[in-house]
Amino acid sequence: MPAGQVLGVVVIALLVAAVFNSEAIVRAGESMQGGTTRDVVLSVARPLDDVAGTVGLHLPREGFDMAFGQEPKTAEGTELESGSTAILRPATKRKRDNKAFPQPTPTSPIEVFVTGDSQALFIGELLTDELPDDLFNVEVSPRNSTGLTNPEFFNWEINAQQEVAARGPGAVVMVMGGNDGFNVLGEDGELYGPQDPEWQTEYARRAAVVMRELGSNGKRPVYWLPPPTARDGAFNLIYQTQNRAIEQAAAAVPGVRYVDIYSTINNGRYSDELKIDGRRVLARQSDGVHFSREGAIVPTRLVVDAMAKDYRALRADGDAAP
Amino acid sequence: MAAVSFPTIEFAAFFVVVFVISWALMPHPRAWRPFILVASYVFYGWIDWRWVLLLIVSSVVNTVAARVISQSPSQESRKRALTAAIVFDLGLLCVFKYLGFFVSEVDGAFDAVGLGSPLPLLQIVLPIGISFFTFQAISYVVDVYRGETKAASLGDVAILQAFFPHLVAGPIVRANELLPQLRTPRDPREVLAGPGLFLIAGGLIKKTVVADELARNVVDPVFNDPAAHSGLEVMLAIYGFAAQIYCDFSGYTDMAIGVALLLGFQLPQNFNRPYLALSLQDFWRRWHMTLSRWLRDYLYIPLGGNRDGERRTYRNLMLTMLLGGLWHGAAFTFVIWGGIHGAALSVERWARGRWQGFHLPMWVAWLITFHVVCLAWVFFRSPDLATAFAMLGGVFAGGPSPLVTLPMVSLTVAAIALQAVPGRAWERAEDWLVTRPVAAQGVALGLLIVAADAAVGQEGVAPFIYFQF
Repeated sequence: MPAGQVLGVVVIALLVAAVFNSEAIVRAGESMQGGTTRDVVLSVARPLDDVAGTVGLHLPREGFDMAFGQEPKTAEGTELESGSTAILRPATKRKRDNKAFPQPTPTSPIEVFVTGDSQALFIGELLTDELPDDLFNVEVSPRNSTGLTNPEFFNWEINAQQEVAARGPGAVVMVMGGNDGFNVLGEDGELYGPQDPEWQTEYARRAAVVMRELGSNGKRPVYWLPPPTARDGAFNLIYQTQNRAIEQAAAAVPGVRYVDIYSTINNGRYSDELKIDGRRVLARQSDGVHFSREGAIVPTRLVVDAMAKDYRALRADGDAAP
Repeated sequence: MAAVSFPTIEFAAFFVVVFVISWALMPHPRAWRPFILVASYVFYGWIDWRWVLLLIVSSVVNTVAARVISQSPSQESRKRALTAAIVFDLGLLCVFKYLGFFVSEVDGAFDAVGLGSPLPLLQIVLPIGISFFTFQAISYVVDVYRGETKAASLGDVAILQAFFPHLVAGPIVRANELLPQLRTPRDPREVLAGPGLFLIAGGLIKKTVVADELARNVVDPVFNDPAAHSGLEVMLAIYGFAAQIYCDFSGYTDMAIGVALLLGFQLPQNFNRPYLALSLQDFWRRWHMTLSRWLRDYLYIPLGGNRDGERRTYRNLMLTMLLGGLWHGAAFTFVIWGGIHGAALSVERWARGRWQGFHLPMWVAWLITFHVVCLAWVFFRSPDLATAFAMLGGVFAGGPSPLVTLPMVSLTVAAIALQAVPGRAWERAEDWLVTRPVAAQGVALGLLIVAADAAVGQEGVAPFIYFQF
């Protein structure tokens, strides 16, 4: 076949894919790092998506989604995108702390659902080793590149509702925040960046919405891990803010435990290496953010410590009463 | 990593531009060569431009070594140049791939005997594809030394190493397969579009519909926590991984060969229905064929092959497969994977000599071969030895099996069983496809891309398994 015809086939294929898949291209663009590529993809895909949606060209893709059992992970008008900061009013101390969650037994183990962004993978995998097999079953479902500041790409409120309905977990571990640096619309409709105090409030509000869904408003404990320290100082400024926001949100939603891996690990100083069980290990990956598999044991043990406050079987004194 | 992966928006845009300019420049080799080299470097440097410098240094060193080898009248200096090039190439591999592991193990050993921690732990980023372009460089200088290929110009060697379709995860191309094609302009009227498009479409389906689905729904959950799963789920995860790694790796290779074909170049075949193999020897003639022939030609035969008696042959087989395992990475799981293959190849060879003329029924031979391969995959996939043994122990565990669903069982069976479809059937399908009108071909391919994207959903395409090697 002549090269010109091959080009025709390729171009037609890409056009067909772009038109029928415009929603997915917009989402892919939204998941990209800020920069020229992202701008170009979004400037082409968004108008295309508007047109395709208007004339019903989303239907074939929706048919394929249905065939492959894919549920929509985005929607417009959710509380995650816009809602009241009233959700951040601190819960009463009784509501917040004194909830007694069902305790695991060998005949009725607790299903622990570990989710979040890519940082959730190793922590979830290691949690399976750290928790007693006969009392806890761990399921891990990381959603790479997601965060709370980009709900057009992935809406954690909707995903939390779907996951809780499908899995009915007894406890949830959420590891989240490494991809969150986007500007957000505050309650007042203004756009705020991570350097603004309003960003922290809005981030806390969004986290509280997702916390409420994951914990079904106090029905099950939610252990929330915002990011640890990073090698890059600019990241640390954002991560610090996120930690304060999560602490604030956790105080407002019953059953949520803020697990501080920012200031506790190495006293809040970033280091590639950590001493673990008397042995130095390379605890971080080369990006200076993610934990290595060996290093992820440190935040994992902090999760277990936090869980021990809710589950007697995880305390050093075993079954002793709280 | 996503930017250098074939099924991405970035690659689609990159390829359309490269395709047009490449064919436009094809009649002018002086312009085409720098263009395709720069395009390949852009493709490789998208994530980290420093990797391109590494690639350039590798090309320069190997070009100089090959020149010395081809021009020097003295055998001594030829040998010295060859040794220097191989030491350099393996040195690169050692620094980037094995030094961190070595330092960590030595540090642990010192610490264990109370000598403290004298070594700084190293944070080394593994340049993607380094194992592939390094092996290619070694094969080039060795071939020049053996007189099997002529020393080429720096530009040609650089293209040989960096040509973007095969750069990241193979196939491992030998100089005499690609260099002659670089020297003759391709004919723009005779593009092998049928096989090219068919391979790209097939590779896309293998990756998105089979490999990623199996990984997400069965393989990853079970390998993450074998103790929490029943024997049935563990078995499905093991068979599922056999299907996943085949579809993931051969899917990538299919797309690589397809992309190269659309640009007018033929790369060697890397898979030939490996799960139909009736022996381990047969398996290695069908699985990652360009690596196995590399190991045969540049390791097994130089070690002595089967020329020095049975015991030496077994030793050579074992060494070759152990080093083949280590090529994948510095981990004991890969060493055991290689060890299982080496031991099985040796046993097979011994049994053939012991019971000459006796043949197992075909189905028994297939069953044994397939299960030895699956046993080795357990170690290959497991993050550590404890997980591998937990997987093997878990085969006999009871309990409910919610992960054993009809779609997952069907995907696993289909990925293996489809290999029995005769090659002629695929060729007929290619012929049929290429005779459709251009618009029909384009629409079909476009809808296939939409379906593939729907299959992976919001998760996106997972990185190819062989990118880490």
